[in-house]
Formats: sequence, C-alpha cells, structure tokens
Amino acid sequence: MLPKRRVVVWIAGAIVAINGFFPAVWILFTSLKTESELMQFPITYLPAAPTLANYYQAFTEQPLPRFLFNSFVVATLSTALCVLVSALAAYALTRLRVPRRNLIMAALMGVAMFPLISLMVPLFKLMRELGLLNTYLALILPYAVLSMPVCTLVMASFFQEIPPDLEAAAMIDGCSRVGALFKVVIPLSAPGVFTAAILAFVNAWDEFLLALTMMNRASMRTLSVGITLYQGEYAFPWPLISAALIVAIVPISLLIAVFQERVVGGLTAGGVKG
Amino acid sequence: MSGAAARSRKDLSERTLAFLLLAPAAILLALIVVYPIADLVYSSFFTIQLAQPWLGEPFVGFDNYVHAFGDERFWLAVVHTAIYAVVTVPGALVLGLGLALLANLPFKRKWPVRLGLLLPWALPLVFAGLIFRWFFEYQQGLVNDVLTRFGIEPVAWLTDPRLAMGAICVAILWKTSSFMALMLLAGLQTIPKSLYEAAEVDGASTWQQFVEITLPMLRPAIFVALIFRTITAIQTFDIPYAMTGGGPGESTETLAMYIHKTTLDFLDFGYGSALATLMFVISMIATSVYLRQTRRSAGRGAD
Repeated sequence: MLPKRRVVVWIAGAIVAINGFFPAVWILFTSLKTESELMQFPITYLPAAPTLANYYQAFTEQPLPRFLFNSFVVATLSTALCVLVSALAAYALTRLRVPRRNLIMAALMGVAMFPLISLMVPLFKLMRELGLLNTYLALILPYAVLSMPVCTLVMASFFQEIPPDLEAAAMIDGCSRVGALFKVVIPLSAPGVFTAAILAFVNAWDEFLLALTMMNRASMRTLSVGITLYQGEYAFPWPLISAALIVAIVPISLLIAVFQERVVGGLTAGGVKG
Repeated sequence: MSGAAARSRKDLSERTLAFLLLAPAAILLALIVVYPIADLVYSSFFTIQLAQPWLGEPFVGFDNYVHAFGDERFWLAVVHTAIYAVVTVPGALVLGLGLALLANLPFKRKWPVRLGLLLPWALPLVFAGLIFRWFFEYQQGLVNDVLTRFGIEPVAWLTDPRLAMGAICVAILWKTSSFMALMLLAGLQTIPKSLYEAAEVDGASTWQQFVEITLPMLRPAIFVALIFRTITAIQTFDIPYAMTGGGPGESTETLAMYIHKTTLDFLDFGYGSALATLMFVISMIATSVYLRQTRRSAGRGAD
C-alpha cells in the first residue's frame, strides 16, 4: 500500500475513534479537576492537579453503589427472563411449523418500535394497581418484553444454522424435543444466545423513561436516573457529575469493548434496536 | 426416561408444542404491551385526574382529543418534535454515511474504529444529554471556549430557545449517527469488491464509484436506517430532558416530554392517555412503512 494512502486510512480511523471517544475522555478530564480549576478562565483542558476527590464525593453524596446494584439486578434478571422466553419462542418460530409465522415475526418487529412513552402511561397505572411501584419487578418485566423482539430475531437467525439432523439424532437417543432444545440447539448456538443477552443487558442498563417513572424512592433508582440526581436546582457540580458518569460508563463500556464483534453482529442482524 | 414416556412426549403434536413454547412470550406481551395499550386507548375517553379524585372518572367521549386540538402547548410540542426529526433524521444519515465510509477502509487494527462507533450507541441517551449540556455550558463549556479562541463572543446556548434547539440537535446527531453508521457499514460490506475493481479498470473516479455503485447498492440499507431513525425521532425524550428539561419555558419540549409532564406532574391521566394514543398512532404508521420496507429488502437479500 502506498504510504500516502496509509496516512489517509490512519486519519479516517482517527476521526471515527475520536468522534466516539472524545465526549467520554472530556468527562474523564473534568472528573479529575478541582472545583477551583474549573472556575479558571480560559478553561483548562488537561487537569492541572488530578484529584480523585470528586469520585469520593460522588460515592458519598448519593447512594452510587446502590444505583449500581439496582441497575445490575434489574439488567441481569430482565436479561435472563428475556433470553429464556425468547429462546423458546425463537425455537418454535424456526424449527416448528407455526401457523402465520411471518405475521408473528412482523408483530414482534412492531413491538420493538413501540413508543415507550405510550406504554409508560398505562404501565405506571398497572404497576401502581399491582403494588409493584418501587420494586425491581416494575422494571424487570417491561425490560424483558422490550428486548424480546431483538433477542428472538438474533437467536432465530442462529437456530436456523443448526442442522436438523443433530436434533433428530438426540431425539432418537431418547431426548424429548424440549430436551433437544436445551441439550443440542442452545449449546450449539451459544454465540447467538450470548449476543442476544448482551443486547438485552445494554438496553436495560441504558433505559431511562420507565426507570424514572416506576422508581421514585431514592434507594430504588437505577444508574441512568440516579446520575441526574447530582444536579442541584440551579447549580451543576460538573466535576462531581462527571465522576459519577465515569463510574456509570465504565461497566457498560468494558462489556462492549470485550464483546464488540458480537455486539456489532447482533445489532446489524435484525436491523432493529430494542 | 422410559421409552413409552419418550414416545408420548414426541407424539405431542408439533402444533401443541409450538403453542406451549410461544405461550410465555405471548403472556408477557399481553401483560406488558397489549393490555396497557388497550387500557391507554380506553382511558383516553375518560376524565382521570389523580390529584382530584372527587371528580370521579366520568366518560367524556372525544373531549380529550378535542382539547388537544385547541391546546397550544400540545401543538408547540408537536412542532418541536417535528423540527428535531427534520433536522436529525437526514443529518444522522449524512453523518452516519460519512462515518460508515471512513470505518469501511482497510484498517490494520479494527478495534479503535469499531469501539468508536459502538460507544455512542452503548451510552444511555441521558448521559449523552448531560455530557453535551456540559459542552454547551456558557462559562466553562468547551464550545464557547473554542469560539472565544477564534475571537467569537461566547453564546448562551441553552438559555436561548433557538440555540438550545440547535444544541439539542447536535447531541442527538452525535448519539444517533454512530448507530446509523453501524447499520450502513453492514450494508457497505455486502457490496461485492469486484464491482469497484471493474470500475477502476474503466477509469472511474472515486466520486463516480460512490455515486454509481455505493449509493445504489446501499439504497435498501439507507431506507431502513432512515425510517428506523424517524420512528425513534418521534419519541425524542431523554436528550432534551437532560439538556434543557424542555426549557427555557417550553421552547424545546417534545411531545413525549409533554405527555410525561401531563401524566406524572399534572396527574391528568385522561388527557395524557389521549396524547399518548395519538403518539402511538403516529408511531404505528411509521412502523408499518418500516416493516414493509425491511421485509422487501430482506426478500431482495434472499434472492
């Protein structure tokens, strides 16, 4: 390759990477600055005297570990429920003769596009009547359903690749159809199941509107809502907010970084996002 | 398991088994989607004021909808939502296409580029809103700092209604163009390399190759990405919520934000339900176009 062309490629990569990373990097810098450095004019770019004080304050001013824990519980359990239910549905839709299969698939895609705000109003009433407000279930159930279309589509595309002979062989060996699903189909399409799980987890971790609506007790707030509690009525303690943001961003960024190829494959498989 | 039991399991008709496997998904959908939507439409025909229980919940027919047509704040919210859509749908497409073209170059190390596209997607919308609010801050914000360095007066981005809309659009564009790029990148990678090689032999310029090969081949992917972005643009909530809270005044408020206020702050569930029903109908129209197109392009892909 010509050196000139290599430079062009390098610059192109830098543009894409900087566009994606820059806001997070800027927040990281802000989180390491002192309040007095922030008041300086003109503003500084790199922190002059990096400090972790903002992180300490972020953990003491609001129950940040509690927010993390809540997000983790809600995201994990909703993902587990979603993957289980979607796997059964995906199996039926790919391996069994289902009447009106295409209609069911289209309806699922439609659900993925539902305006959350329209669901929020009646869901709030429903959860209130069931006495589920301020409980994990109020978020776990909707999150599991909202990621169901994507998960079903992703797993269906993987299930389709498993040769039916393998399943037939397992059934000859005395396995039931459901047994074959759990002993043959799911283990063989583990990457698909895993991809679906990551997508469901990120969707749940990021969701804001329902989290804001269903949980109004401070101890039940999830991370996405909890972060907005650092702002005062008029003041915005930016170093503090930045520190909290970094704490919130790190787990999900690590997950994405480790499984990036899977995530890209999953995101573009169905052409949908939950 | 005994042989007889195994056989009886296997004899379970395929239809029954399919029904049983689909049942959990169907039950969850019924509880979390179908029943709430039915309840939403039903409630929109009643007066439901949670803060004034003494009013009861009388049936009012289409009054809530009639009220919406005369509600200035509702129309303003519709206009704002439309502006966000008109600016950020084509905007995200152009930026997303640019990012996708850059990301499609042959890199030695793929992860910085891939992660650069994934990170904006993985970040919660509210976080993107908060970060851009910080960028557009009057005194300590990066944007005004850069302007000052070029000798331009700092601008009150978030307290001027028009500029606030602009700032919100920038944040939405950053957050959504990367996902757009991922969808388009997948489309780019399906275009056979041989087409470009042939064009190169014929002496076609890079621009000609883009117009004659890339764009036509990418058309189905572009259309799907556009409609997808339109549907999400109609629902815009998190980013303006984090950046301006709908302010100054109600000048950046979207329809979704107005519905949220009407129900959870004003506790007017009857009217809020009517507005949410309208939103639902608009969304479903856009979705049906989307579904028709994805099925068509999926069919084309299978050929």
